[in-house]
Amino acid sequence: MSARILAILRKELLHIRRDPRSLVIVFLLPILMVLLYGHAVTFDIRDIKLGVIDEDKTPAARELVEGMVSSNYFRVSGTLERREEIGEAFLHRRMIAVLIIPRGFGAGLGSRSSTEVQVILDGSNANTATVALNYIRAYFTSRSLQANALLLQLPIDLQPRVWYNPDLKSVNFIVPGLVVVIMMLICALLTSVTVARERETGTMEQILVSPVRALEIIAGKTLPYILLAFVDGLLVIVFAWIWFSVPFRGAPLWLLFYALIFIYTCLSFGIFISARVPNQQLALMFAMVSTFLPSILLSGFVFPLASIPRVLQLLSAIVPAKYFLVIIRGIMLKGMDGAQLWQPALFLVLFGTLLILISVKRFKINLEG
Amino acid sequence: MIRIMHIIKKEFIQIRRDRSMLAILFVVPVVQLLLLGFVISSEVHNIQTVICDLDDSSASRLLVERIRNSGYFIISAYDQRPSHMQEYLDNGRAAVAVVIPEDFNARLQRGERTALQVLVDGQDSNTSTIALGYINGILQTALTDAIQTRLQGSEAADAVHFVAANFRIWYNEELKNSDYMVPGIVVFLLTMVTTLVSAMGLVREREIGTMEQLLVAPIKKHELLIGKLVPFAVLGLIELAFGLTVAKIIYDIPIAGNLGLLVIFALVYLFTTLGLGLLISASSGTQQQAMFLTLFFLMFFMLMSGFLFPIENMPRTMQYVSLLNPMRYFVIVVRELLIKGAGMHHLYTQGLALLVFGTVIFSFAVLRFQSRMR
Repeated sequence: MSARILAILRKELLHIRRDPRSLVIVFLLPILMVLLYGHAVTFDIRDIKLGVIDEDKTPAARELVEGMVSSNYFRVSGTLERREEIGEAFLHRRMIAVLIIPRGFGAGLGSRSSTEVQVILDGSNANTATVALNYIRAYFTSRSLQANALLLQLPIDLQPRVWYNPDLKSVNFIVPGLVVVIMMLICALLTSVTVARERETGTMEQILVSPVRALEIIAGKTLPYILLAFVDGLLVIVFAWIWFSVPFRGAPLWLLFYALIFIYTCLSFGIFISARVPNQQLALMFAMVSTFLPSILLSGFVFPLASIPRVLQLLSAIVPAKYFLVIIRGIMLKGMDGAQLWQPALFLVLFGTLLILISVKRFKINLEG
Repeated sequence: MIRIMHIIKKEFIQIRRDRSMLAILFVVPVVQLLLLGFVISSEVHNIQTVICDLDDSSASRLLVERIRNSGYFIISAYDQRPSHMQEYLDNGRAAVAVVIPEDFNARLQRGERTALQVLVDGQDSNTSTIALGYINGILQTALTDAIQTRLQGSEAADAVHFVAANFRIWYNEELKNSDYMVPGIVVFLLTMVTTLVSAMGLVREREIGTMEQLLVAPIKKHELLIGKLVPFAVLGLIELAFGLTVAKIIYDIPIAGNLGLLVIFALVYLFTTLGLGLLISASSGTQQQAMFLTLFFLMFFMLMSGFLFPIENMPRTMQYVSLLNPMRYFVIVVRELLIKGAGMHHLYTQGLALLVFGTVIFSFAVLRFQSRMR
């Protein structure tokens, strides 16, 4: 390593040391977020808030409601007298489904082959409404099957076997993804200011007239942050592993190796922004706005990429977080051999290098102009 | 008053001159809303599936056909070797593997029970649960169909008692996900942009040294503050209008409620976001610090607002924590008002919460700002 790179590097380390508050945030924020996200995010919907209008008022009707409650999926959150009250109940968000047991329900049960109840759903949250609809439908199907036990039985046993995450714990899914998102954001925010700061405070000219080459400036400015981000990422992974017992089935060394590559790509992205904007404010805002939502939504962190429209799938190809997500889940949850994951890693290397080259070119233009 | 107008004018000129800033404030959020709305309203489908049909009978082929036609699964491979299933899951070529045993049809014919083995990549717990639910549903329909054919015309039909649920769905008959999710993303973008500009605005003047100029100028501190924040509030409202227009045109979201009421709620909410930004600005020494603090709040807001992760599903303690998140209330207001046409008397608790948050955060920020400026 040349002395010139070292000089820039030392200068950048000084910047980091002079701002201990940023440093504290950089280490504290990820831990806090892993704690919050790990504990809060669950996808299973329980306790569907059910309203009841019992127009029948027979033992059979009460039995039906009790049966639904004892299935543990529903909770009666209110009883209404008339159907006109449903609108207000929905508007006050007191319930998301209303079961109407019509007059004659109990009488009809024994005499007719099919008796109807009505269910009104608040469809505003399509997701929850769909789940509620399926739960209610399944409840009535299985109730009907049970009532006619001798005659009908599902002759096929569904034997599900869940791999990699047998208890279907959402922590195992969310936390490795969160590590990726946090690393991406912190790296981009850290380096996006490095060059912009010089430009804003006017010290850029000094560096440009010094005998340092463009690539050396970039190398000197990136290296300290690689170290910082690496320690940060390591801390989060170890924390997640200890606190939430997120499984770690693969080789840690491979993960560390790939983490370095990912950091390189993220930092290149920060440098890329930094080289193009005139001041820190723009650099930071641009880094934030361009990485926050895409890293969360277009990486497969929450929404499976297979389900999104084709055009967006193509667009997700330029989101670095997507590739590291495949790697980290592959190694931690699936226990994959690191060598199998060379493809996403190669992309990260290429993408990062491309960004660095563009940034260097941009510097050279600055030098000449 | 005239002095305030001057500051406001200065800020607007600054914003207008700065093309890249305008791009960040308007173009990027609108483009993201346009694209990402599709992502967050997507439901799980296209699940890559490998089929191992050891039976290869009419019954097993019918089942595979049902799986394919359900629209949820894409059959990416057929493979007769059960031992190879793990490989498909390992290298990610399939997320679900269905193994139909050799004697599947024979047992069904004899009236015996048989088993269907389904291997699921459980990494994404949400998707895997949904996938298993889909398969279960497919089996249930298959069963109901079989029963109906068996019962047709037979005497047994009268002995069977079904209770059928007859569904009616309000507000959103087709259960379009975007109606609910897209307003959420509008709120998030509004929160992100207004907090950002106000967090960066003041700390920047201090870091690059123009704050002194403003302080020695013959204006009072509160005038400076109002002059700085009013343009941001206007920006926020324009942003909201922009967002809702895009949401209406592209995603055809309903607007059932009173938009004037929405603007009033938005104004109250802006006190919170701008106040928070100001607080961050006053508590940070550098722009980078301000940005990291903003990041912290945005991640908290995103998690605890019900925008992506439903709050009702969270553990009780976390539901209480979410009450500390002002964005939570505004998300509810926007969704309820747009979709259901909720009015003031339905939303006053949310409004009250927003008012309290706005007042507390904003006054705290102003105090902090004034003590920092001394």
